[in-house]
Amino acid sequence: MGIKIEDLTVTFKNKVTAINHANLEIPEGIFGLLGENGAGKTTLMRVLTTVLSPTGGTVTLDGMLYSEGNYEKIQKKIGYLPQEIDLYPSLTVQECLEYMGDLSGIPKETCRKRIQYYLEKTSLSGHRRKKMKQLSGGMKRRVGLIQALLHEPEFLIVDEPTTGLDPEERIRIRNLLVDFSEGRTVLFSTHVVEDLTATCNQLAVMKKGEFLYLGNMRELLNQAKGHVWICKTKDEGEARELERRYHVSSKQYVGDELHVRLISAAPPRTKCSPCEATLEDAYIYIANKEP
Amino acid sequence: MIQEMKISLTVQKQAYAIFFVVILSLVRGVTDSDEVGIALEAPMAALALTFCADTYTQEIISRRSEIWRLCPMKRRVCAIYRRMAIQEVFLLFVAAAGYGLFFLFQNPRTDRMGTEGPAGEIGRFLIYVAAVAVTLGFWGLLSNLLSCLFRNMWVGIGGCLILWLITNSSFGDKYLGVWNLFSYTFRELEDGGDFRWIYGKMVCICIGILAAAALPGIMKRQDR
Repeated sequence: MGIKIEDLTVTFKNKVTAINHANLEIPEGIFGLLGENGAGKTTLMRVLTTVLSPTGGTVTLDGMLYSEGNYEKIQKKIGYLPQEIDLYPSLTVQECLEYMGDLSGIPKETCRKRIQYYLEKTSLSGHRRKKMKQLSGGMKRRVGLIQALLHEPEFLIVDEPTTGLDPEERIRIRNLLVDFSEGRTVLFSTHVVEDLTATCNQLAVMKKGEFLYLGNMRELLNQAKGHVWICKTKDEGEARELERRYHVSSKQYVGDELHVRLISAAPPRTKCSPCEATLEDAYIYIANKEP
Repeated sequence: MIQEMKISLTVQKQAYAIFFVVILSLVRGVTDSDEVGIALEAPMAALALTFCADTYTQEIISRRSEIWRLCPMKRRVCAIYRRMAIQEVFLLFVAAAGYGLFFLFQNPRTDRMGTEGPAGEIGRFLIYVAAVAVTLGFWGLLSNLLSCLFRNMWVGIGGCLILWLITNSSFGDKYLGVWNLFSYTFRELEDGGDFRWIYGKMVCICIGILAAAALPGIMKRQDR
């Protein structure tokens, strides 16, 4: 089970190439997709959900080629939570999910049971009678996720599912996705690096339509090992100079000292000490590494 | 079905449809009762073409179409047909109520032909309901079809309005005659036994059936 992408290219009518000869294999389990805005993540997901047809290359799902004749079969296997979605504002949460379930062809009784289960899992049980337009952004996001899970798809694609959620809810959603991924494939795209650290082992880093990194989390962290430094200074001018010269992943005042965490391939020409790389550091290192 | 009603008949849509017929029945002057149908048919067609234009395109505007496309085509098409039916029935009630409002606000003369009495009035009303039902169905289906085809409700509304202007004019009456889409509006009032305007309504029914039949194909094409 899984997705195989070979030499995938997507070029729009305005000649912009969103994905450039990309190759990727997404195995069973949760697969993370990380990248800056405009890296091509959403385009990739739109290809995988059959919204967009690629300009070149092939995509297969469980060995089934993405082609006109197979689209209907493929679509049945996919669940999708887009980045932006406005579910029926005049319906209640329960009605909205029942409607989406009915559209997917789920038998009524099964659908009700699943709705109840997922509403509890996402702490929305108390809001089932509320209209969609009365929900907060985070709640709408959770309802959106439930609609994607409702028909229990073999392949789930979620585009920033934790946007707008508080820390506790974010953990709950991450755990739900981990539970759901058993025996299935979940493609988890996010800007929130912690979400990937907590959920997936395999990930891809995208930039300008290409994959900068494909592999497991540990290997990515290993690549950044020895390139992350902490510089302690009391001089704000020096801190500004460091920001200008290096990629700074964080700045923090500790007492009257400013701790600047920076990423540099070579040891910085200033007094600093090496430190453990986080996934965020590794991402910045990979994304800005000289080819 | 309840969900479809809530989706396709929002409070705003219901309000503007009712407001429209109330204002129309107040400002459009009629003298005789057999002018009421004429006063209502074309404006109701304009209401139907704006009312139904977002039947499918609301899924595009709200970005739900990316999820919709993952659902089986048959179910999606059925959902759109159901929405169309709900809207058309609602508009028919509004059109019937509008007929009554003309009587309420303007009290038109009912004794024009002299001999028919209340039975004649009921007959006129039923004929109006039948004619306007066809009109509403035709313009609603056409507007939704064009909107769906171009993935833009304004194109649907604009395209239908052009056709509305052509057919609801002396040009349309002169060149299309009894085959005009608004043949009921342009019928001879003096000759109550002349039902040749039904030809125009038959044209509406035929095009409406074609529009309804073409919808699944267009939705499928939009998926690609």
